[in-house]
Amino acid sequence: MNPGPADAEPGAAPPHPPAGDGRHTTAPPPEETANGSPWSPPPGYGHPPGHPGPPPAGSPNPPPGPGDPGSPPAGYPRPGAPQPPGQGWPGGWPLPDHGWPGHPVPPTPGGEEPRQRLHPLSPALHGAKSLVVVIAGLSWSTLSRVGFGWFAVLVAIFVLGATVLSVISWWNTGYHVVGRELRVHEGLLWRRTRAIPLERLQAVEVVRPLLAQLTGLAELRLEVVGGGKTEAPLAYLSVAEATALRQRLLAVAGHPPPAAPPTAGTAPAPAPQGRRLHTVRNQDLLVSQLLTPQAFLLPFGLAFVLAQFLSEGSRSFIAVASTLTAMAGVLLQPVRRVLDDWGFRLDRDDDRLRVRNGLLETRAQTVPLHRVQTVGVTWPLLWRMKGWLRLRLEVAGYSAAEPDDRNRPDRLLPVGDAAAGALVVAEVLPGVRLDALPSTLPPRRARWLRPLTRAAIGAGLDAEVFVARSGLLTRRLTLVPYARIQSVRVTQGPAQRWLRLATVHADTAGGSGAAAPERDLAEAWDLAAELTARAEAARRADRTRRR
Amino acid sequence: MSGDDLAGRPPAPPGPLEPWPDTVRWQPISRDLIWVELIRLGVLFAVGLVVLGIGWAVSGHWLFGFGLGVVVLLTGWRVVTIVRAVHAWGYAERENDLLVRHGLLVRRLSIVPYSRMQFVDVTAGPLERAFDLATVQLHTAAAASDARVPGLRPAEASRLRDRLTALGEDRAEGL
Repeated sequence: MNPGPADAEPGAAPPHPPAGDGRHTTAPPPEETANGSPWSPPPGYGHPPGHPGPPPAGSPNPPPGPGDPGSPPAGYPRPGAPQPPGQGWPGGWPLPDHGWPGHPVPPTPGGEEPRQRLHPLSPALHGAKSLVVVIAGLSWSTLSRVGFGWFAVLVAIFVLGATVLSVISWWNTGYHVVGRELRVHEGLLWRRTRAIPLERLQAVEVVRPLLAQLTGLAELRLEVVGGGKTEAPLAYLSVAEATALRQRLLAVAGHPPPAAPPTAGTAPAPAPQGRRLHTVRNQDLLVSQLLTPQAFLLPFGLAFVLAQFLSEGSRSFIAVASTLTAMAGVLLQPVRRVLDDWGFRLDRDDDRLRVRNGLLETRAQTVPLHRVQTVGVTWPLLWRMKGWLRLRLEVAGYSAAEPDDRNRPDRLLPVGDAAAGALVVAEVLPGVRLDALPSTLPPRRARWLRPLTRAAIGAGLDAEVFVARSGLLTRRLTLVPYARIQSVRVTQGPAQRWLRLATVHADTAGGSGAAAPERDLAEAWDLAAELTARAEAARRADRTRRR
Repeated sequence: MSGDDLAGRPPAPPGPLEPWPDTVRWQPISRDLIWVELIRLGVLFAVGLVVLGIGWAVSGHWLFGFGLGVVVLLTGWRVVTIVRAVHAWGYAERENDLLVRHGLLVRRLSIVPYSRMQFVDVTAGPLERAFDLATVQLHTAAAASDARVPGLRPAEASRLRDRLTALGEDRAEGL
């Protein structure tokens, strides 16, 4: 009926020989030995494909460390021992002379890079951060019940406790780069050592909240696939240290065979200045956030609070304060967006994308371009009169479980006109022209299922990306590079079966992928076959390019 | 009980809506899965029956009788769908990808390239083990990927697992 994917690829081998049609159940398939893949008896669950896997702990070939292999293990530097410049303690603080607290110094074959602590000011910052949490947790009603004095005492006790805990955790936290992985050690009672293979690094972010900016510190967040949330946020490092570590991690992550193993102590190369792609004008950002439903609702919210205040009379300071706090979460979102995206700059640096933004809390996020899984374009209804759009990208690694969506590394362009959007898209997905993307509507009979939105949905196959459109009021466009497609699915509900329609999904790692709803059934099979074939071809091209 | 003699035949009559009839050879899953599912259903049904029956006997309210009728009807309907759903499951190994299709009301077809495999799960619950069955599930980095094949004979399950891991290692790509 339709050309199968095997037909779509000239020269492709015929479908697999009768792979287990019930008669091959016991004999091992012939290919496994033929293609010479190493086949040990319990084949089971190897590590995920594509990567040689992290070297095991106590790896046989750690990079040459500072210590001479012949000398006694130099796992942790002591004062007096020769210390490589740039290592050891930020700002030259000596480490306590009993080495690592509570740890028997493990023999480190060949000498590993010494573990480093986070910046000594971090517990203070964590304590200050917990102040907000504590006050929010105690809430207004507690304040009204116990009075201000006791409230302050309570807050002080909790904050003190949090600070003591963070001092303990700081004392027991250390990190170092071993070979091609970053190891983070933490915990006092439950010790945990997390090894993060740097080949898997999806994105790196340097976050500097207001307090950290005042004290010259920064938090380093790493996105790794499989983590429910950002793994191993290193909070806090000094800025110089954070940028240097980021540079180093990205250098290790970017080039599979390191030319020279990163010797501990070599100062990382100075951060190269990228090419500026786009700068968002702050006044555009302000206007764009005024053109949101929340901004329009803000006066009503204020009026509501005011009315409550006037009607309830005297005793209601607490009530009004609670209402304000409750509404702030929703209504202040535009304000938060403005603060977050203030001074938005987008740079291209080699094959990485660098996003910097934020007023009170600055973020500098680095995403290798081949880690971009999807790009989403949004045209909110109210922005259309300005012709503005918003771009987001998806990276595998963060998941929807991340409670704070500000921590999602998905910013690409908070607001921009069509030209800026086209420029950024062409940069992130080479060869894609935002203004000339193919897209076809579903057949007319789909209007029974989508009476209003039939004209708004669509899908198309561009040279490099799969295009899916949706949304009537807020128009959305999702671009999935073929090389990033993980699997293709076709689903068909009962109503769709009746109308001979089907939905084709392209799944990606992280995020929801893209879907082409309500396609004609024959077209859906074609689309699925074509997507599979193109994804395969793109993967193959990727593989040869990387070799 | 032993439904393996049916293997080798297409799981369902190949309708005109089957995708790529000439390049894909669908494998059926074992019919014994019907029994597994029926026993599971039967346990639930028995529990519902006992609870409602006791309720009816004690209170004599007509609602309990009505509930009993509903439970019986639902169970009868479910028996039919279980039989048909197991017949509708199918998988096919192609050169580069695994195809899995299932579902009656909502039909689903998943195409998962071997090179995207992150890991393979082989599971067998006590009931499945009693019927000598196992489930193979292929996981990719995308949470939405849906490649689960239940009701496989252990030999077939381990063959599939081995083949998947071998092909996955061979064409490794990951992300």
